[in-house]
Amino acid sequence: MVKLLKLAFRRLFRKGEHTATRIISLTAGLAFGLLLLSEVLYNYSFDSFYPDTNRIYVVHENFRRDKSLDKMDSSPRVSGAIAPGLKADVPGIEAATRLNNIGSSVFYTEDKKSYQAQFSLADENLFDVLPVPLISGNPKEILKSPMACMVSSKIAEEIGGDVTGKVIEIKRYPGKKITIAGVFAELPENTNYKYDILISMVSTGQFFSWDGSTNWLGNDRYYAAVKLSPGVSPESLAPAVRQMQVKHQEIERIEQQQGGMVLKYSFIPIRKLYSDGVKDMIIILTTIAFAVLFVSFMNYILLTLSALIKRAKSSAIHKTCGAEAKNLQLLILSETVLLFLISLVGALLLILILRPVAEVQLGHKLISVFNAHVLWPLFFLIILLVILTSYLPGRFFSRIPVATAFRDYQQKKNKWKLVLLSFQFVGASFILTILVIVSMQYNSLITADHGYRTKGVYFGATGGMEASKISVLLNELRAVPEIEKVGLGHGLPIEGAAGNNIHSDDGEKELFNIADFYFIDENYLSILDIPVFEGDSFSQQNSVVNDLLISKRGAEKLKVFNGWKNVVGKQVDISEHGKSTIRGVFPDFIVNTITNPNSRPSVFYYYPAEKFEQVRAERSSFPFYVLIKTNETSEAGMLKKITEIFNRFLPYQDAVVKSLEMEQKASYQSEHGFRNAMMAGNAIILIITVIGLLGYTSNEAARRRKELAIRRISGATLSDILRVFILDLEFIAVPAVLLGLAGAWLTVSKWMQNFATKIPLHWGIFMVCSLFILLLVALIAAYNYTRTANRNPVEALRYE
Amino acid sequence: MIYLTNIDKYYDSKFQRTFVLKAVNLEVKEGEFLSIMGPSGSGKSTLLNIIGLLDAPSAGEYSLYDKSVLDLKEKAKVEYHRNFIGFIFQAYHLIEEMTVYENIETPLIYKGVKGRDRQAMVADLLDRFNMVAKKDLFPQQLSGGQQQLVGIARAIIGKPKLLLADEPTGNLHTTQGEMIMEVLRELNNEGMTIIQVTHNEKFAEYGKRIIRLEDGIIRKDVIKASPQPSPMEREKESKVMMVESGEPNVRIV
Ligand SMILES: Nc1ncnc2c1ncn2[C@@H]1O[C@H](COP(=O)(O)OP(=O)(O)O)[C@@H](O)[C@H]1O
Ligand SMILES: [Mg+2]
Repeated sequence: MVKLLKLAFRRLFRKGEHTATRIISLTAGLAFGLLLLSEVLYNYSFDSFYPDTNRIYVVHENFRRDKSLDKMDSSPRVSGAIAPGLKADVPGIEAATRLNNIGSSVFYTEDKKSYQAQFSLADENLFDVLPVPLISGNPKEILKSPMACMVSSKIAEEIGGDVTGKVIEIKRYPGKKITIAGVFAELPENTNYKYDILISMVSTGQFFSWDGSTNWLGNDRYYAAVKLSPGVSPESLAPAVRQMQVKHQEIERIEQQQGGMVLKYSFIPIRKLYSDGVKDMIIILTTIAFAVLFVSFMNYILLTLSALIKRAKSSAIHKTCGAEAKNLQLLILSETVLLFLISLVGALLLILILRPVAEVQLGHKLISVFNAHVLWPLFFLIILLVILTSYLPGRFFSRIPVATAFRDYQQKKNKWKLVLLSFQFVGASFILTILVIVSMQYNSLITADHGYRTKGVYFGATGGMEASKISVLLNELRAVPEIEKVGLGHGLPIEGAAGNNIHSDDGEKELFNIADFYFIDENYLSILDIPVFEGDSFSQQNSVVNDLLISKRGAEKLKVFNGWKNVVGKQVDISEHGKSTIRGVFPDFIVNTITNPNSRPSVFYYYPAEKFEQVRAERSSFPFYVLIKTNETSEAGMLKKITEIFNRFLPYQDAVVKSLEMEQKASYQSEHGFRNAMMAGNAIILIITVIGLLGYTSNEAARRRKELAIRRISGATLSDILRVFILDLEFIAVPAVLLGLAGAWLTVSKWMQNFATKIPLHWGIFMVCSLFILLLVALIAAYNYTRTANRNPVEALRYE
Repeated sequence: MIYLTNIDKYYDSKFQRTFVLKAVNLEVKEGEFLSIMGPSGSGKSTLLNIIGLLDAPSAGEYSLYDKSVLDLKEKAKVEYHRNFIGFIFQAYHLIEEMTVYENIETPLIYKGVKGRDRQAMVADLLDRFNMVAKKDLFPQQLSGGQQQLVGIARAIIGKPKLLLADEPTGNLHTTQGEMIMEVLRELNNEGMTIIQVTHNEKFAEYGKRIIRLEDGIIRKDVIKASPQPSPMEREKESKVMMVESGEPNVRIV
């Protein structure tokens, strides 16, 4: 084999064998295809780094409120007592742990330096289930001690020196001092539950107004993971789990009261948790990756076969030397291996060069992809591809009849070439159509009316700001001439909203779940340009704390459930808030994003500015935003200006002010990435197809030189000749393009199935895309055939 | 050794059947040196290809060593090519990306000869043809005569019983051609059966028997009683000196 590779290497620099073109097409195809496939495999590698990862499961809560719903809501978050309960009551569970996410936040060390980290509360059993290497400290002790924490090696490095014993403070929770007692190795990126700093679970009360860590029902915000004993199947645990529920949750009584309600726990393998959530995207990415690989490989085979025709004699020579088919196939295999190796190196270089771009698109570091779960499958795929792509040319090469090879060997049939070429047309039209639709959909997303204003709207978080500074800040902001309006609000539409339930009048039943945006002041809605079309918007004169605005969808539901004609002025009872009066109705807007919309009705509660201040004074972690509406004309520099004002009121000058317009755009990052991936794939496929077409038409023109000349002599005009030859090509291009369109239609339908607004899949789009491909085919063919046809026909005939 | 009976070879085109060989009967005995002559297009190469199992006749019988070889499987044909038949061509047909050494070695690799034996065998032949110094050159770096020597070396390294040469001197100067013919004669003297195609009357005389082919039919079949000794033969040596115009050949071992 080494010998064969050496020979293949010597062949590399020979002219007329399309070697460079073949390598380019392979490199492009491999770079793109492997990048996409590694991304797909990466999704399957989540949490695979844990030892015994196949025995680790994440506890899911499956919930159905009543019989009318046939689907259960399933969520990987449960109440605080579930994990310890499972460990105690369910045999077969070797270990169980729970984590409670506090979120990403800035924190300070005692020397006033600030850092950013992802915080989570965790119980002392964490490393029994989800172990990571420990650097210092005993987690069993630390995660049981109040206000003690462990930090990741990365954070420890950032802080520097010996971190043990150092005291930190989270920006959102001023005054809550936490002591670092241990260090663990930083988690890889491919994990479902990421944390940089672990705070002991017993400290929950310090960060939440109520400690739900041992609560059985409700407050289901705990990520619970269990490790099963070897050989135990998660299904077999169901009876014991039910017994636990009976014992602690009074599940039977609740079920009796609320006929049809179901609450169940299930165990999802931690390895599958992530990939299950992105299945559609995985299917689409895989399809596109294989489309690109397929096209580039077909092109490779096409070019290789053309080159082999020129080498027909060499096949015969080897045979007279005693080579059998097997030897010749090995010869071709070795050449394929070499070209693959070169292309692979090229592809890796290309990926390396494009790494910054790729990392932005993928949203994670490329290096994270280099794990065994990604690399091995790719390795075997490449081996398989090498064998497949060398098989056809090898078979062809070994079957050239010797006697004809020694004469001027001319391929008579060219059907197989057309078949290979048509595969490229399928791929080209498939990707082009997807690209066009994805781009159109993306544009419609970022320009779509979300039901609220984003232009000229900024928002700044007030975390870490003393209550007394709030009103001064508001006044300062209002004094800026470019600022039209300033308001306060607990949340933002792009962030989505927490959920609460509207109860029936008698308080017996839950009517429906709402997206709860909590509290806003009287300026919030006008800044976002959300109108109140029934009743009145909040105002200082006629609204009191806890007055309520509900969206149209919610109002309609209330009318149906309660038999009301009108909702304004009525009282409703919503969990967490109690009874309050509906002041008005506003149109529903997009909660979250169009691609991942939340279709629950939404509500706002009224807090005047003083109330925001008052609650902040009582509870320093009470979060809310300041919203700012600027003049449309004063765009440039506003962000900086507002940030500077904010900084004057923050002890550490670390204000985070953002433009709502930019944030909304950023929320479509993944669609943006997808579109860019399409663009890259499209460019590659088009280039490859053009290369393939040029090669094919040149060969055809050469092969049919005589025919062209005879037609020419017998008086056919150039356009007559072109028509015949181009029609020949289009004859196979049309069905191929149709096939590509069908594939594209299926793929984009799948991609868009959950979007709130979809562009219509107009037939015109498909029409234009297919015309483009067909025209491209015609133009390239016309170009190459014209060149040949315009040569002196007499000369062409003499050639023979 | 070779029995051809009523061999036809024809090609069908749209309207007619063109015969390249028609009712060819030929017997060749072991140790013969046969020259085939005839005008261009008379079917000489076709006949040689059929004998060499590279092409199949359209009709007729062919037996080699008393065994019919017409319906052989690919595998069995390969065995013949590995062990019985060697080929030399007008255009040399060396493998361009291989050195002289590797070209000569190739048949042995396909035959499955072990590395050490291979080395010895190739070294022997290089020595015999005075090409030791050229072993690492590529074919394009050699003169035509040298290339043909390599071609012969490659053809005979597997010790075939039968050597088929299709115009082996067609691309060579007379002096180089004579050298090649001397090599062939020597091989024949060692017992190898040789069938060559040639246009050159003088070179045809090297054969012990000459047949003339015209339009696919054997017109003449002359067996010479005793071959005249050529001027070259008198100064016959055990090793053939390379006769090159201009540059005197120095052997470097
Ligand atoms: N594959 C083929 N198809 C059609 N005609 C062929 C083919 N191979 C050879 N011929 C014809 O057979 C005739 C004899 O060819 P060949 O044996 O090469 O002659 P020679 O070697 O005597 O010059 C030629 O006229 C040639 O055109
Ligand atoms: Mg010939």
